[in-house]
Amino acid sequence: MARNEVLVDTEWALVHIDDPKIVFVEVDEDTAAYEANHIRGAVGLNWRTELQDGVRRDIIRKESIEALLSAKGIANDDTVVLYGGNNNWFAAYAYWYLKLYGHQDVRLLDGGRKKWELDGLELVSDPTVRPATTYVATEQDRSLRSFRDDVLNAIGTKNLVDVRSPDEYAGRLLAPAHLPQETSQVAGHVPTAVNIPWSKAANDDGTFKSDDELKALYEGAGVDLGKDTIAYCRIGERSSHTWFVLRELLGIQNVTNYDGSWTEYGSLVDVPVAVGDAPGQA
Amino acid sequence: MSSCGAVVGGVSLDHVDVTKQAVIQGVISNSAGPVATGYARLNDANGDFVAEVPLSTRGEFRFFAAPGSWTVVALIPGGTSRTDVTAELGQIADLDITL
Repeated sequence: MARNEVLVDTEWALVHIDDPKIVFVEVDEDTAAYEANHIRGAVGLNWRTELQDGVRRDIIRKESIEALLSAKGIANDDTVVLYGGNNNWFAAYAYWYLKLYGHQDVRLLDGGRKKWELDGLELVSDPTVRPATTYVATEQDRSLRSFRDDVLNAIGTKNLVDVRSPDEYAGRLLAPAHLPQETSQVAGHVPTAVNIPWSKAANDDGTFKSDDELKALYEGAGVDLGKDTIAYCRIGERSSHTWFVLRELLGIQNVTNYDGSWTEYGSLVDVPVAVGDAPGQA
Repeated sequence: MSSCGAVVGGVSLDHVDVTKQAVIQGVISNSAGPVATGYARLNDANGDFVAEVPLSTRGEFRFFAAPGSWTVVALIPGGTSRTDVTAELGQIADLDITL
């Protein structure tokens, strides 16, 4: 898929901001940022309350995503342009999510909310009201998702790409450094996983690097892009960012996101764990 | 499950046992005072990204690092700066960054 079919820049957004068939969707950890202000006409998605099952540890079911998107006024034939904070981590997660449920035309706004703010572009606090739709989702496309057994079977045979920071990979930190370092998991990484932090795919303003730079990044780290690749992080949103880079920008099809990621793997009993800066042995 | 999302200004120290944390925090200002629109980024000793938070309305940020050397990058409209800092367990490193 061509880069311009999955990624739009701020200039494109400004031209299309009032197109009723193009829906801008802000995705954040909580709605505080969206409620304070957002791109004119954008609807908000709450990562925590709207995109997690709430009872099971899982993404929401097909019926729930249909109800959610219908209520937000998103139709099957709308172009959905996602953006958000944290350098588009949660927007990339929502992108993966919408693709999992079969939405055709989904794009990311390059640089997300950060670039929009740093460029001084307009943000409004008016609530957005879109007429409800009757959204119909497909069944989950499991070819985009990996589970814990897929990861265990991939040790030493497939590419495992740990996209967390080097300190989380090595086991010196248990969470990103904007969070307190208290969790129930052990520290470290899946043996044989290489560490290519998501941030190496992005510029300081949150935009993605060029295709040539991105190819050089993964190939330079020894990833054989001809093999199946599983990306993971701590909870699956930073790895959605890398999944987006590999599958959507570079067009490599056999890439999955392990959304259970380290919060699941690091809590499993009787599985191998590597610590330190080296990938470790199978 | 807790999110990986960054809280504006950084997570509050309320209910956090700071004796087990290596906190780096501070305020980013320009000539007009604290900057409300902007980001603080934490890079490790190799210059690699570790975390980033949006600034609070009072220009504040906070990170929970590990003991060692770090760099705080201030990203505000029209400017960036880099400030080196050392973090220690049980200590709060307070920075006053002016661009």
